[in-house]
Amino acid sequence: MDNRSVILPGDPLPNCSAACPVHTDTRGYAEAISEGNYEKALDLLLQANPFPSVCGRICHHPCEKECRRKEVDAPVSLRMLKRFVVENTREYRRARRQRIEPTQGKKVAIIGSGPAGLTVAHDLALLGYHTIVFEQDSQLGGMLAHAIPRYRLPLHALREDIDDILAMGVETRTACRVGVDISLEEIRKKHDAVVLAIGLSESVTLPIPGSESEGVFPGITFLWDVANGHPPPLGDRVLIIGGGNVAVDAARTARRLGVGQVFMACLETPEEMPAWQWEIQEAREEGIEILNSWGPKAVLSRGGKVAGMELKRCTRVFDDHGRFAPQYDEARTMTLDVDQVIMTIGQRADLSCVKETELAVERGRLMCDSHTLSTSEPGVFACGEVLTGPGSAIHAIASGHRAAQAVHHYLQTGERLVLPREDVPSLGLLPQRVASLARKMTRREAALLDPRERIGDFSEIESPFNEREALEEARRCLACATGARLESSQACAGCLTCARVCPFGVATVDRTAAMPAEECQACGLCAAECPAAGIALKRFATNQMKQTLGEILAPARAVKIWTPFLVAYCCLYETTSRKYLKPQSLEEIEGSGILRIMVPCVGRLSSLDLVEPFEMGADRVVVIACKEEGCLYMGSEELLGRRVAHAQKFLKEIGLEKASLQFRQTRGSAEASWPAIWKEVQHETAPESEKESLK
Amino acid sequence: MIVADQKPFHEIKGFVEAHQNILVAGCGTCVTVCLSGGAAEARLLASGLRIAFQRENQNKTIEEDTVLRQCDEEFVLPLLQRVKEENIDAVITLACGVGVNFLADRLGHIPVFPGVNTTFYGAVMEPGLWAEMCSGCGQCITHLTGGICPIARCSKRLFNGPCGGSERGRCEVDPQNTPCVWQLILDRMKQLGRLHDLQNFIPAKDWRPALDGGVRHTVRERIYRLDYKNP
Repeated sequence: MDNRSVILPGDPLPNCSAACPVHTDTRGYAEAISEGNYEKALDLLLQANPFPSVCGRICHHPCEKECRRKEVDAPVSLRMLKRFVVENTREYRRARRQRIEPTQGKKVAIIGSGPAGLTVAHDLALLGYHTIVFEQDSQLGGMLAHAIPRYRLPLHALREDIDDILAMGVETRTACRVGVDISLEEIRKKHDAVVLAIGLSESVTLPIPGSESEGVFPGITFLWDVANGHPPPLGDRVLIIGGGNVAVDAARTARRLGVGQVFMACLETPEEMPAWQWEIQEAREEGIEILNSWGPKAVLSRGGKVAGMELKRCTRVFDDHGRFAPQYDEARTMTLDVDQVIMTIGQRADLSCVKETELAVERGRLMCDSHTLSTSEPGVFACGEVLTGPGSAIHAIASGHRAAQAVHHYLQTGERLVLPREDVPSLGLLPQRVASLARKMTRREAALLDPRERIGDFSEIESPFNEREALEEARRCLACATGARLESSQACAGCLTCARVCPFGVATVDRTAAMPAEECQACGLCAAECPAAGIALKRFATNQMKQTLGEILAPARAVKIWTPFLVAYCCLYETTSRKYLKPQSLEEIEGSGILRIMVPCVGRLSSLDLVEPFEMGADRVVVIACKEEGCLYMGSEELLGRRVAHAQKFLKEIGLEKASLQFRQTRGSAEASWPAIWKEVQHETAPESEKESLK
Repeated sequence: MIVADQKPFHEIKGFVEAHQNILVAGCGTCVTVCLSGGAAEARLLASGLRIAFQRENQNKTIEEDTVLRQCDEEFVLPLLQRVKEENIDAVITLACGVGVNFLADRLGHIPVFPGVNTTFYGAVMEPGLWAEMCSGCGQCITHLTGGICPIARCSKRLFNGPCGGSERGRCEVDPQNTPCVWQLILDRMKQLGRLHDLQNFIPAKDWRPALDGGVRHTVRERIYRLDYKNP
């Protein structure tokens, strides 16, 4: 029935998808959620990203930053919707796992099991390669398993994603340190290609006086030790040097280890800090004090142990070209008494695996080409942070996808593939004149534990959306570019009806009608009113209602459906659970005599949609609209009311009683209100003989 | 454009009671614009007929089709083809009277029934409201009346000023909805600075170019009967 959310090559992507490094069909999964099809939503997520459970928790969600709803009120909580999907499809997810037999006859080794490495393994396994992942630790996941604190990403969530990948047949060699337990050369000999996805697993240290003192920890080592159950003993005052996400992770981790006073000192001003703003906010809530515009001068020690830190005023972090070039006022200093100092000022790769190999390394960096993802040696590729520098999990996943493409091309042709720089056309901003006419709906934020409770341990701090919350939030999606389009210019008489009914002023007529996809709000009113029946909707194209009804009812033809048989058009935006969103079984339709058709706003039903069910055997039709003034689309209610009246008049002319077609509104929740309305409509209008059978 | 209203359902149904394979033919131009006979209306009417006959246990086939214009050979050919191939034994057309005639001329023994009452040549006064503006009289005199037609828009078709039923600028036939056209003409001529022209008597009209003169034809020599097309 609906040709929905299919993104065709060359189509501008909705901003959310364009902004996502792996171009997740964000609009598609929001839509699938609102239709109660959480399984389809998961399929869409997994199509683009093998780590939906991880990303549902820790993704920095560039999709939300670009969401076009921000022009109306605030972006859709897309990350939380993603999390809702993975939380509610566990059984389905396990069942859909499938082993992929390697059919290519070629083996690929991947060094490193972080998000980039496992994505390469996943993609190449899908393509039929035999993939083996080498991991130095006993646990898979790289930084996800060792550096991201558990309160943000519990291990079980990471495990869900990894289990999917392993179920495909990806092999792993854990606790295997390449360069120590096995040489890279040996791996190269045994495999047709090698991918280095070794990440940036070491913290950069600062050569300042006192940095050798006992109690100075590199940030990654600190986080790694805590994650693996070996937290170092800490005093009551700890200072974190750095203003990035790792610094915030280290600070919040220290707080959870019982440190009374945790400080962060960074060169940047609050606005310049590279950490995500919400992370900074949450850290502040947890009592972490941030000292902005202070740089490290010296670690003060007493008896070889850290006693404090001397900081100097940072006057500028970046030069006029935006390059990192900090300047200090050496005269302005401050001293902070602390027991430990954690350095999180940057990361570098541990390149011990390429030592004594031919691979080119310059100034401590692996030489690799960002366009071909190749290294200096044929058949050896690199991806993830070792290639791109520090980044987010989703960027590492995107890099893994690209590496898999490069490796596949190399193994098929022996050539390097030059991957084009991605230039994804997007829909752009929603024009203000359209946005101002859209109904405002409050964004639902993730619910966080009280800060005092949070710092007690490493329990996850964020609660997932419940079903009602997820459905409400999913319907905030503007469903960009799934609206109306003229099916053929030939059909259009240029009558202007579309332009006259469009509540957003989007439809225009210049010889023929035009509904620019980037502006259309998908209310469907123009399609319902078009006298040429020439406007199609990408989502829920009611032009095919008859066919849809026919398909639903075809198996029922042979059996007798309970009479009076009611077709109920219900606004799916009113549901708070998927009780009524799930497809009905034939038995249910037969037994109840009620066929419900869920429509994303019943305002898009045409007069024909209201009449045709009678042709298909319905005895009654009820249209259940949303609560008073609850409609997403201005004017929809009035037009629908008039259309129902028109159809009622027509049905009366045909000889049907006026009550055959009824218009109702949801009262309270859909789940509570609808069954009563259905029964009411069945009873109220049923002739005496039929009423008997209903008992 | 031509404005039409759909006929009452029972009247249309009555036309085809005796027929079996019925085609409802919509027209994609004027009647689409005035929401009386386009594809959407054709589908709705066809559905309504199917429901009505089903309820009487009459087993009829009712199809629908809409073409861009039912007044052009090229556009109606697919309809004619369909009638022939699908053994249609009656056509209900939702086109204006032109379409009814045009199809009837081409459908031999197959009856063609009008699904609409063709009412007037009109314009959209506001969305959803059409008003008559021209009667197709064949000899336009609006150059004398400031562009406002006393034939189409005067209840009595008066040529030389209002009748006694013009009151406060409204027509006595329907004061609420109809202005007196002579008031409109007067105001317009004043605006144009030509009020004095109304002192000239408009002589009795020659009605022969209107329907009274018999069936009317128009020829455009520049495309009419091209020789190279008819060797």
